[in-house]
Amino acid sequence: MKLPRFWPYAALSAVALLSLAPLLYMARVSLGHGSDLPISPADWLGRPFTLEHYRSLWSGGPMGRFALNSAIVSCAALPLQLLLAAAAGHALARSRFIGKRATLALATAFLILPRQVTLVPLYLIMAKLGLLDTYPALILPHLADPFGVLFMSHYYQTMSAELEDAARTDGLSGGTIFRRIILPLSGPGLAVVGVNGFLTTWNAFLHPLVLTTSESMRTLPVGLALFAQSEYAVDWGALLAGSTVATLPVLVAFALFQRQIVEGVLQGSGR
Amino acid sequence: MRAGRPSVGLLPWGFCFALFGLFPLLYALTLSFQQMNPLRPDASHFVGLANYAHALGSPSFWHALRTTVIFVVGTLPVTLVLAYGVAALLARIRRAQSFFRAAIFFPATLSMVVIALVFKSLYAEDGLLNGWLASAGLARVHWLQDPRLALPSIMLMDIWASVGYYAILILAGRKTLPVEQLEAARLEGLTAWQVERSIVLPHLRPVILFVVLLNTIRSFQVFIEVFVLTRGGPLESTLTLVFYLYERAFYHFEMGYACAIAYLLLALVGIVLLIQRRVLRSTGAPA
Repeated sequence: MKLPRFWPYAALSAVALLSLAPLLYMARVSLGHGSDLPISPADWLGRPFTLEHYRSLWSGGPMGRFALNSAIVSCAALPLQLLLAAAAGHALARSRFIGKRATLALATAFLILPRQVTLVPLYLIMAKLGLLDTYPALILPHLADPFGVLFMSHYYQTMSAELEDAARTDGLSGGTIFRRIILPLSGPGLAVVGVNGFLTTWNAFLHPLVLTTSESMRTLPVGLALFAQSEYAVDWGALLAGSTVATLPVLVAFALFQRQIVEGVLQGSGR
Repeated sequence: MRAGRPSVGLLPWGFCFALFGLFPLLYALTLSFQQMNPLRPDASHFVGLANYAHALGSPSFWHALRTTVIFVVGTLPVTLVLAYGVAALLARIRRAQSFFRAAIFFPATLSMVVIALVFKSLYAEDGLLNGWLASAGLARVHWLQDPRLALPSIMLMDIWASVGYYAILILAGRKTLPVEQLEAARLEGLTAWQVERSIVLPHLRPVILFVVLLNTIRSFQVFIEVFVLTRGGPLESTLTLVFYLYERAFYHFEMGYACAIAYLLLALVGIVLLIQRRVLRSTGAPA
């Protein structure tokens, strides 16, 4: 009876290898010499390791700028997304008002809507507001995302309102209650909203592609994709080094918040 | 609890949602009835249903639709079956489950641009795959240059990129399986296969429905893969609906027409989702 216990491990090892091998290949090529492509797995340890692609990325190319833009957009959007999701989620969970059902229904519908529908209008709106090719154009659309609000609304519904009610009878204002009582209790929910929001923002492609026009405003995914468009002599080493840079923050987020990412996926954060 | 009046907490998000969510959605609808070129905004005018008529009479639109449908129909069942299998395997093991789960799920969190770039280097004329074929004495394959192979190559990559995602969803569904019923079935002498078919599969039906709907929505929007790997070519063999929309809007500046395509996509996804729900629900009679 040894065999039946062993074979799921063998099969899963094959699947895991298949799933990680392209990423290991990416990292390995990014650490090799320009002339070394392709590097067959048998040679992965044999060929020399060097940081030359990373050095040339930072010194010569615009890739450093792309990474900086991605970092600025993600870091600016994240706290705003969290704050908006907590505030709106709490309002939806705790107060009753006309149009609440409609708001929830619209937000839910928006979750599954193909986002390309808003692509052209957003471009025209940003052009009208004079925001094309600026950071706000890259940040603002993420603040409309309904996932965080719906998730936090559900989160607060399962949280007892006793504490807030007691604080209110003690005469505390709504703002104080929100800051001092609700936010400190929101950590686990905001972790789910935050990490999924970060991944969405960091990986965003179509909207940043059309909302930026100058090279200096490209985010990392957009810059990488356009960099790969040149028909002649694609510099794979540099491209895969850039891809590795784009992967590292995701890897860190994954290592720290895997459970929260899965929770988000299960609740429909799927982009 | 204050009734009748929303709390101010709703306002900041509500404002953003209205301005960058709902308004663009409605704006796209009105644009779809207009001839609109952003380079000549004064010349834009109402054209009724002309954009929709143009799309439905355009061979390019039907070609893009056909390509997209082939992509969806070709990837969805494969992804679903593989994801189901991987989830079943993951559920079967005790030790190192979290390691395998993480290794298989991680690619799903990556940027599709990164995935497409890695595969572009693997598929390249002098890439790793052709290197292997050459060392095995076989002819090179033009993965992305051959019009017959380009779309299947992209579909293969997409399957690779999505299996982990859906496997995790299905695995989560398996956490709620009726353990006692499974035990009883096993004591009655049912084989693992019979248990899977008679108890597990019916129990997982809602999760599978969710996976099918989600995968359908996402697959109809396939864009980044095409943008990075082939730009719709060769010979338009990978021209999908969203890539067509993007080209029309931002190369040819036919903004009104592009919005009509967007609404046709929206309608199409809506119809497919309704049919899938019907079909998967109606076959949902307890086995």
